[in-house]
Amino acid sequence: MASTMSQPVSPSSAYCGSPEHTFHRRMILQGVPAAGLAATSSFAGLFSVPALAEQTRKQGKKCILLWLCGAPSQFETWDPKPGTPTSGPFAAIPTSLPGIHISQLMPQCAGIMNKLGVIRSMKTEPSEHFQGIDVLTRGEKPRPPFTRPILGSVIAEQLGQLDSPVPQFVLLDPCPEGNEFKAFKAGNWAGWLGAEYGPVRAGGEYSIPNLLKPETISQLDHQDREGLRSFLSRKFANDQRSDAAAGYNAAFNRVQGLMSCAPLFDLDKLPEADRRRYGGGAFSQHALQARHLIENGSTFVMVANGMPWDNHVYQHEMHQMLVPELDNVIFQLVNDLEERGLLEDTLVIAMGEFGRTPWLNEARGRDHYPNAWSMMMAGGGIKGGVVYGSTDPLGIDVAEKHVDQRQLFATIFTALGIDPHQQYDIPDLPAFFHVEQSAEPIRELLV
Amino acid sequence: MQPLKLNRIQDFRLPMAVLGAALTPEADLLVTGCMDGVYLSDMQSGESRRVAERSSYVSGVAWLLNSQQFVSAGYDGKLHWFDRVTESISREQQVHQFWSWDMALSPDQRMIASVTGQYLAGGYRYEPQPEREPSVVLLDAQTGTRLFELPHVPSVQAVCFSSDSHYVAAGNLMGEVRIWDCHTGELQANWNTEDFTSWGIIKSHSYLGGIFAMRFTPNGEQLILAGMGPMRDPMAGNGKQLWQKWNWRAEEPNKAAEINKGEAGEGLMEALAIHPTRPVFAMGGRLRGGDWNVALFHLDTGERLTTLKTGYRVTGIEFTDDGNRMLVTGTQGQPKPNKEGQWEPFGRVELYEIITG
Repeated sequence: MASTMSQPVSPSSAYCGSPEHTFHRRMILQGVPAAGLAATSSFAGLFSVPALAEQTRKQGKKCILLWLCGAPSQFETWDPKPGTPTSGPFAAIPTSLPGIHISQLMPQCAGIMNKLGVIRSMKTEPSEHFQGIDVLTRGEKPRPPFTRPILGSVIAEQLGQLDSPVPQFVLLDPCPEGNEFKAFKAGNWAGWLGAEYGPVRAGGEYSIPNLLKPETISQLDHQDREGLRSFLSRKFANDQRSDAAAGYNAAFNRVQGLMSCAPLFDLDKLPEADRRRYGGGAFSQHALQARHLIENGSTFVMVANGMPWDNHVYQHEMHQMLVPELDNVIFQLVNDLEERGLLEDTLVIAMGEFGRTPWLNEARGRDHYPNAWSMMMAGGGIKGGVVYGSTDPLGIDVAEKHVDQRQLFATIFTALGIDPHQQYDIPDLPAFFHVEQSAEPIRELLV
Repeated sequence: MQPLKLNRIQDFRLPMAVLGAALTPEADLLVTGCMDGVYLSDMQSGESRRVAERSSYVSGVAWLLNSQQFVSAGYDGKLHWFDRVTESISREQQVHQFWSWDMALSPDQRMIASVTGQYLAGGYRYEPQPEREPSVVLLDAQTGTRLFELPHVPSVQAVCFSSDSHYVAAGNLMGEVRIWDCHTGELQANWNTEDFTSWGIIKSHSYLGGIFAMRFTPNGEQLILAGMGPMRDPMAGNGKQLWQKWNWRAEEPNKAAEINKGEAGEGLMEALAIHPTRPVFAMGGRLRGGDWNVALFHLDTGERLTTLKTGYRVTGIEFTDDGNRMLVTGTQGQPKPNKEGQWEPFGRVELYEIITG
């Protein structure tokens, strides 16, 4: 049971570079004509019968996670405290919800607050990145030696289509040096669900070597070799009952699927007007790409950009840039999904692993703070126009309706139509549930 | 040159961080721009009181009219002229849509320069977007009339005048320096030094840093820049403490000198001051690594003459007009409120006596 026993590795661990979870966009694109596969820029193009594409597209709910790694400041986003010693330099502005103010850095979100659900009363335990990321992407603290699957893996397993050539769980993150994910192996992502539910990783210059078919090998030869590899791997897996071999087979299958839908990963193929509307930064461009992937069959797309929110120094200098980018991304995503009739079925989440301290350190930064922080959800079963919970006047502690990671995950799962209290049905696995301790979803946030 | 020593003769605190400060010519009264407004302090007793509130941080202050008036700039983009006699704001002017990062008063007290600019992602690698408003604004110090609106690339974080009030220089996030003629508004020099800017290789793919302080040399021939050297991880704040001196009048401006190798620790430098009578300048900021965060340097040789380890982030340095003392202002980390909900003061003001020999 290799996949169930694997544990998140430490950030300093060597990266395996396996094609199971990393792809280089340019290489994928170059691989398409070489492989002689269909060069299509839409999901429909993958099907000979268009109706089948439509049917597939409409199945199930989907999710885009804007992963704000490093942890944004709640004071400069959803929970400003103007006129107090903790306020920071930015003002608060009114929103479309009477009496609700958010940071002046988010004017576009202020105008669509009636479509957003904001939790201002997150209160979690871990105050360091690795532990915080673990808890807020899995919904539970680790219980060695078992590895709980990350949110995207659970959603891909529950709502995704394994036989789809479009990857069901995609991580778009161009900054591989930037966060703990660099050290993740396939098992760290999908845990006990198995490698096939891990993400396909793309974005920027994120790359692995040796994905291209050498020019010295003909297409026919390439197909013969793949056929032989596939046969031997399956035979080995059957003979040896090897989960590892099965996992590698899943990865190879994913490579084949990816090569067929590589144009979906090509930013240059997205409409120029859309690209301008989303903004120039890597995070914005990948948010647009996430929308495109969701429109074309992906179930869960996680958009990250290293760990830019960890502003122990230059807090305000960085947030002046990062927050407006996030503001525009949320605005464009929510409106685009709504215009396309996809918002009802697509949950958009924007959160990090904790918040930032009310007090500034000497380097004019805010440090890690899990005691009282904020996050946002929209669409996909979440009621808009709800600001749930509150903090005290200085933002030091939660004042009412404390929310932990279990309640949050119960809410996310319920919004997506996944039973949060369902037990994982995996042989030899102790009793684990989608959400532990029978945590209840936040009813006020559910449609 | 005889050795110099610094002896602290005054030390008091203000409720919140000090981001800008100015002494009267007699050095008896101090005006400070803080995170929560403007304070006046008696330098003898250290007694301080807030005389003006602001809707955001105050980034710079300067005395006008024989110390009967002071002007302050803030992160609300406004300039306030404050009358000491009536203890009221005599003029308020919205100069920028975004922050005033820095403000300078010309030595002849006729002009004020204020710089602004919000860093917004312009490209995939987070190159700054072009400016949305004039980045450098030159105003008449008495009337507030806008004299020139000068273009730059945001964010523009530092500004200064030449000692003859003829030129104004401004430096930005990307290490670009522009110098204009104050009488015509014509660009006189423009160059870029990448040594002050980080592009995050790890953690964050974006730009951070830039030039945080600048001063012309007394003869006006050179410009000294201060900030921090590049970092792989911009969130570490561990770039090299850095000054550079540039020959700006050359056809191709060139670097004349920089801090001597081995004399720099780590941390952002954001304060510069030129001594009024000696060939000496001071640089100060934050100590991230090493053993000093304020140092005096020889203006010609660049030799480090003496150092201080203040124990707090220095945001301002000023020599008194007689050259015998040096004001150092700044901030410690903001403490947590105590059990009674009170915040201990964390703005810092110190005065040092300069001793020869």
